[in-house]
Amino acid sequence: MLTIGFSATAGTGARAVGIRPDEELLPSARAADAETGVIGCVLAGKHHFGGDDDDVLPVCTPSGWLVLVGMGPEAGQDGRRLRRIGGNLFAELAESGIEHLDVVLDLSPAEAAELAYGMRLRAWRPPARYKSKVDPDEAWSFVSASIVTSDPAAASAHFARLAPCADGVALARDLVVAPANELTPSHFIERLELLREQGVTCDVFDPLEHDLGLLQAVGQGSIHRPRLAVLRWSGRRRRTSPIALVGKGVTFDSGGLGIKPSEDMEEMKGDMAGAAAVVGALYALAARRAPVEVIGVLALTENMPSGSSCRPGDVVSSHAGLSVEIVDTDAEGRLILADALSFTASRYRPRQIIDLATLTGAVEVALGRHRAGLFCTDDVLAERLMAIGEAEDEPLWRLPLTEAYDEDLKSPVADLRNCGPDDDGPDALHAARFLQHFVPRAIPWAHLDIAGLSEAEEDGPLAAEGPTGFGVRLLDHLVADLFARIE
Amino acid sequence: MKISFAKAALPTEGALVVGILENRELTATARLIDEQTGGLIARAMAGSRFEGKKDQSLLLQAPAGLPAQRLLLLGLGKSQSFDVLAAQAFGGNALAHLQAAGDHIVTLAVDGIEGAPTGAADLAAHAAFGAKLRSYRFDKYRTKEKKEDKPSVKKLVVTLAEPAAAKRLFAPLEGISEGVFLTRDLASEPANVIYPESLATQAKALSDLGVEIEVLGEKQMRKLGMGALLGVGQGSERESQLVVMRWMGAGDDSQAPVAFIGKGVTFDSGGISIKPAGGMEDMKWDMGGSAVVIGLMKALALRKAKVNVVGVVGLVENMPSGTAQRPGDVVTTMSGQTVEVINTDAEGRLVLADALWYTQDRFKPRIMVDLATLTGAIIISLGDHYAGLFANDDDLAAKLLAAGKSSGEPLWRMPLDDPYDKQIKSEIADMKNTGGREGGSITAAMFLKRFVKDTKWAHLDIAGVTWAKKDGPVTPKGATAFGVRLLDRLVAENYEQK
Repeated sequence: MLTIGFSATAGTGARAVGIRPDEELLPSARAADAETGVIGCVLAGKHHFGGDDDDVLPVCTPSGWLVLVGMGPEAGQDGRRLRRIGGNLFAELAESGIEHLDVVLDLSPAEAAELAYGMRLRAWRPPARYKSKVDPDEAWSFVSASIVTSDPAAASAHFARLAPCADGVALARDLVVAPANELTPSHFIERLELLREQGVTCDVFDPLEHDLGLLQAVGQGSIHRPRLAVLRWSGRRRRTSPIALVGKGVTFDSGGLGIKPSEDMEEMKGDMAGAAAVVGALYALAARRAPVEVIGVLALTENMPSGSSCRPGDVVSSHAGLSVEIVDTDAEGRLILADALSFTASRYRPRQIIDLATLTGAVEVALGRHRAGLFCTDDVLAERLMAIGEAEDEPLWRLPLTEAYDEDLKSPVADLRNCGPDDDGPDALHAARFLQHFVPRAIPWAHLDIAGLSEAEEDGPLAAEGPTGFGVRLLDHLVADLFARIE
Repeated sequence: MKISFAKAALPTEGALVVGILENRELTATARLIDEQTGGLIARAMAGSRFEGKKDQSLLLQAPAGLPAQRLLLLGLGKSQSFDVLAAQAFGGNALAHLQAAGDHIVTLAVDGIEGAPTGAADLAAHAAFGAKLRSYRFDKYRTKEKKEDKPSVKKLVVTLAEPAAAKRLFAPLEGISEGVFLTRDLASEPANVIYPESLATQAKALSDLGVEIEVLGEKQMRKLGMGALLGVGQGSERESQLVVMRWMGAGDDSQAPVAFIGKGVTFDSGGISIKPAGGMEDMKWDMGGSAVVIGLMKALALRKAKVNVVGVVGLVENMPSGTAQRPGDVVTTMSGQTVEVINTDAEGRLVLADALWYTQDRFKPRIMVDLATLTGAIIISLGDHYAGLFANDDDLAAKLLAAGKSSGEPLWRMPLDDPYDKQIKSEIADMKNTGGREGGSITAAMFLKRFVKDTKWAHLDIAGVTWAKKDGPVTPKGATAFGVRLLDRLVAENYEQK
C-alpha cells in the first residue's frame, strides 16, 4: 500500500524533479542540477529522455536517487496528464528499491492532488492472499510519497475528494480479479458489507419471488442461486428520484449449454465487471458523502451447464412480461440485464438509467480495447457521457441503437429472441436493441458495452495489466455532474 | 422500362397506383377515383387492415368502375414525413408489387401533399427514380427464364399536375440511376468476366461521355514504385491496372478536384492466406468500391456536374499461386514506407495505400474519399445498414453524414485515434497489414491514414452494405451500388458550382 502525503518542503532522500521537452528544467530541477550537475549530463548524453509525459528516468547521484520526470509541454498540463505522470512515476519506481520519494514538480495544490490520484490508481495489485508467498523481488519497495506544493492543506483537501474514487476503483478491481470459486453471487453480496459501513443500504431480491424469470433462467444451471442486489446511497437532505446504475454480474460465465471454447475461459471470472464498476462507483460516492441520490442494481448469477440449465430454445417470461426465446445460452448478459432494467424502472422510477456490462465480443471487434461502446436513447446524456469519458480517460464511442435490425430479433415462438441469426452479425447492436425493449421510453437510458475495457492486456499509466475498474471514475463523475446540474 | 410524366388523368389500361396517407386519408387522385366509382377505395379499405401506414399495400383486381386492370393502394405514412426518400420508396414498392403482375403499363399517381416537406413535382421525380432503381435486374446469364418470371412492365407513367417540372427534375436523377446500374452490373459480373483489364475497359467506355481516362499497367506502376498494389496482384495471371478517370465539369481546369478512390479486387481468394470455401463466390464483388467510383463518374458526367472530379481505382486479382506474395513478405509502397504482409487476405489496404498516395501526390485534391469492401469486422460492428465512416477531418465527416441521410445511404462514424495505431506496428517493417481481431476496421483505417498527408480524407468501409441479402425498397437483392447516390449528394451539396 502506498502512503501519500503533501508537504511544503522536500526532505533529503530520493527526489523527483520535472523536465519539459526541449530540455526545459522546472525550477526544482534547476535547483537539483545546480547541486549535482547530473541533469545536464543526462540530457547531453541523449539517454532517450525527452521530457514527454511518459518519461521517467531514475539517476543515481552522490547525494542519492534523483528521478527525472517528463512533464510534457506547459500548455495542456491538466489533471488528466498529471494523473498519468503520477501513475507512470509509481509504476517505474514500484520495484526499484526506493522506499520514499519526495516529489518536487512545482505543482499547485490541485495539481499535486491529481498527481497523487494517479499514483493511487496505479498502485493496485491483486490481493496477496491468493499466493502463499510473495517473491521478494516483486514486492513493492515504494511505499511512501510526499508531494511538495505551496499549500499542503489545500492539496490534502483536494485529494480527499479524489481518494475515495481511487478506493472505489481498487474495490472494483478486487472484485474482478477474485476467482469464481470465491466470488459466487452470495459471496459478492457479503462483500457489499464494505459499502454498508459507508452508509449505503442494500436490499437483496430472490428472482423467484419477484418474477425475474430471465435472471432465474440464467442462474438455474448453477448450485449458487442468482440474486438481484440493490444498493442505495442517499446523500441529499431529502430523498429524491435516483439515478440508477445497473451492472451485469455474471460471476462465472461458462456459456452454459452453449459452452465456450476452453481456451482463455478463466477470463470469464471477470464477466461481472459491470457490477463491480457499479459497486466501486457507489463506494466512491458514499465515501466522499456526495450529495446525490443513486441506486446500484447488481444482477448476480453464475452461468453453468448442468442437468438443470436452461436449454437453447427455451422460452422464458421476463419481468417486463415479454417472452424471450433463448437461442444462445451464452448471450446471457442481456437476459439478466433485461430483468434488472425493467425491475429498476418499475420499482424505483429513476430519472436516468446507465447500465454497464461486459456484454459482447462484437464490441471488441468494433472498437477494440481503447473505447467502450455507448448506446443511448438520449442525445444530451450521450454527449455528457462522451465528454466525461474523455476527461476521465475512460473513452467511449457511440454506436447505433436502431430499428434497422429488429427483424433479426424476431422469434417465431416468442416476443423476442436473444440473438440475431448470423454468427458474424452486429451482435453488440443486437444486444443493445434487445435491452431497449425493457427500458420504458420516458427514462433516458445509456448502455455501456465494456467487454474490451474491463481488463487490460498491457500496462497503462493508470492501471497495470489486469482489471482496470473501467467505469468507476466515469460513473462517479457522471452522477456528481448530473446532480450538480439539478441544484 | 421507359419512364414518362403526364398530366394527371385516370389511365385507360394497365395498373394504377395511388397513395393513401395514414388514417386512410385519401390523396387527390384517390378522392377522384372514389367520386367516379361511388366510393370504391373507401369500401375496399373498410374491409381490410389497410390504414395507409408506410409500406402497407392493398391490391384491387379489376376495380369496378375504372378502366384500369388493377388498382394498387400504397400507404404513404404521415404527410409530414413523406419526403423525397419516402417518395423513392413509394415508387420502388409500387414497381416491386406490379413488376411481374402482367401489366405493360403502370401509372403512378403522385399528388401534392399538404404538409409534406416538398412539392408534387419533386415527389414525382423521386417516385420515378425509386421505381427505376428498383427495376434493376441482372439477368443476362439466364438463358431459359420463363416468360411469367420476367418483368412485364415496359412503361411507367407518372401523373401529376405539372409533368414538365417533374420531367426536368428527373433528368439528373435518371443520370444517377444509369450510374447506379453500371455499378450494380460491374459488381454482379462474375470474376471470369470482370478482371482488372476488362474492368478498365468498362471504365474506358466513359470517355464517350466526356470523362478522360488513363490506364496504367504494371510496368508504369512499377516505375512509380507501387510495390504494395503490385504485390497483391502478382499471384494472378491477370495484369493489375490503375485507372484514372477525370471529369472536368467546373469549367476551370486549374480548380483542384474532388477525388474518389476505389478498391477493385476483382476476385479475392485471399491469396496464400486463402479464405474458407464457403461463400467464397461473394468475393467477386470485392471490387465494389471501384464499381461505385466508376458508376459515380458516369452519373456525374451524365448530369453534367459542374465540378472537377478525379476517380482512381486500383484493380487487381488476389490469387494463390507459385508467384503469389507470401505472408511475411515486405513490400515498399509508393510513399516509400514499407509494409510487412502478415496476412495476404488483408490486401485491400495494400491496394488503397498506393492508390491514395498516387492520387494526392498527383492531383492535390480538395478532399479524398475512398470506398472499399475492406473488413469483415465492419459487418460485426455495424451490420448491413450503415457503412463505416472514418475521417481525419470533422467537417468532411459531417458533410458525408449529411449526404448519407439525404441520399438514404447512411453512414456511422467510427473512431480514428492514435491508440489504435500501435496494433499495426511491425517487428521488421514500418507497419504490418493486419492489427488483429480487435478493432479490425479501425486498424485498417489507421493503416490507410499512414498514406494520407494533409489532405482532408475519409474512408468508407462498405463491406456490409455492398451486397443485399434481401430486397429493399429501391434496391433489389444483390449488388446495391451503395455509395453512388451518397457521393453524388456529397458533390452536389458541397462542391459543385451553383
